[in-house]
Amino acid sequence: MTENYSTALQTIINEFKNITPEITNTFMFKKDGEIIASTETTSEDQNKKLITAFNDIADQAETLGGIETLTIQGADSQLSITSMNNRYLVNVSSRVTDEKMVKTLTSVIVPTVVKLVDQISELSGNELPQAKNPELKPIEEIGLPDKQTTQSEPIPEMSASFSSEPMLPEPPVNQFMIEKIGGLLVPCDIVRVDREVIAKWHDIYGDKEITQVHIETLEGKAIICGFKPIKETSCNAKGIIQFPEKVLQALQTSKGKLVIVKPEITRQGENKC
Amino acid sequence: MLKQKTSADEAETALTNQVAITTTIEDENSAFASLSASLAEIRKLKGVIGYILRSNTSAILDFTEPNKITENAILTSQIHDSCQEITKQFNLGEMESVLVEGENIKVLCMSIGENNISVFMEKNATHSWIIKRILI
Repeated sequence: MTENYSTALQTIINEFKNITPEITNTFMFKKDGEIIASTETTSEDQNKKLITAFNDIADQAETLGGIETLTIQGADSQLSITSMNNRYLVNVSSRVTDEKMVKTLTSVIVPTVVKLVDQISELSGNELPQAKNPELKPIEEIGLPDKQTTQSEPIPEMSASFSSEPMLPEPPVNQFMIEKIGGLLVPCDIVRVDREVIAKWHDIYGDKEITQVHIETLEGKAIICGFKPIKETSCNAKGIIQFPEKVLQALQTSKGKLVIVKPEITRQGENKC
Repeated sequence: MLKQKTSADEAETALTNQVAITTTIEDENSAFASLSASLAEIRKLKGVIGYILRSNTSAILDFTEPNKITENAILTSQIHDSCQEITKQFNLGEMESVLVEGENIKVLCMSIGENNISVFMEKNATHSWIIKRILI
């Protein structure tokens, strides 16, 4: 757990009182008892006793499928514990507090900040998450870094966006309906896209090689995989994308559903995962 | 008025998934009986998968899946004890209700006098209505 990480969460927690004065105590802890951030209004002893009591419940909560939230309504105040990615946010507020505001803070804002801070931590650890679903293997092998990169000092991946390469236009986004393809000769990780759409992508990007597409379901599941044009030239192919079984499974979707597709353009300095 | 059974045989024949444990016949616990009747009604609601009603001397456990009775009883006992401790530590006032939500199931725990109530339900079930029904 980095200091920056803790500071980011501490800042958010300190703002709670400004947003909703009815919130009296807030802190965040890990299951092992480590306190990540806390308001000054709670003592360490109080926090430790709560963590012990909570862990005692969590140990027996297998029958519920773990604990996502725990809310205690007292006569004067209420306490909630919200689980987020192996961390727990504790929030004590008076009973007259705006329920919706507290819910927004504990269930939306803080989890979002935690997720963002986690992603930034991953990026700074030289991991550039590209595909949200890692089950599909990449189509291309990772290319060797160019000479310039190997000679220079390690540069954080974030700096890739400041490369000197000319700005490329934003990839066009298309919506397609899924059709299933199968057969012995069908590669399990290649989708098939309308020829006209592929031609349009090539018009936009000229000589830039496009070998992969980014596919996202309406539920938010996304992958990057290789593509080929749909074999049939009939007009029935319009608005259709053909998925092999493995891609359907990876996206947890099915025939007839809609997906958003855009070409995956690799900028200079970027690596495929 | 609910008549509490003393014979284990009688109880076994009368109840399938329900377990009734009683130790006294003479001491009529009107609050226990009233809560028992309310919980029997709540049990019929869609999404409710079972309940535990426990006083110092008696307990009623009714679950759709009887094999989980022991696990659920241990869990609710732990929730009551641990939450009492948390309530005391953070000066929340008298504990009125506890809601613990898991991935698919949630459990509502309340203390009414000497009686501890735990209602297990599916996550999309409305627990606020159950609180109101118990407090009537």
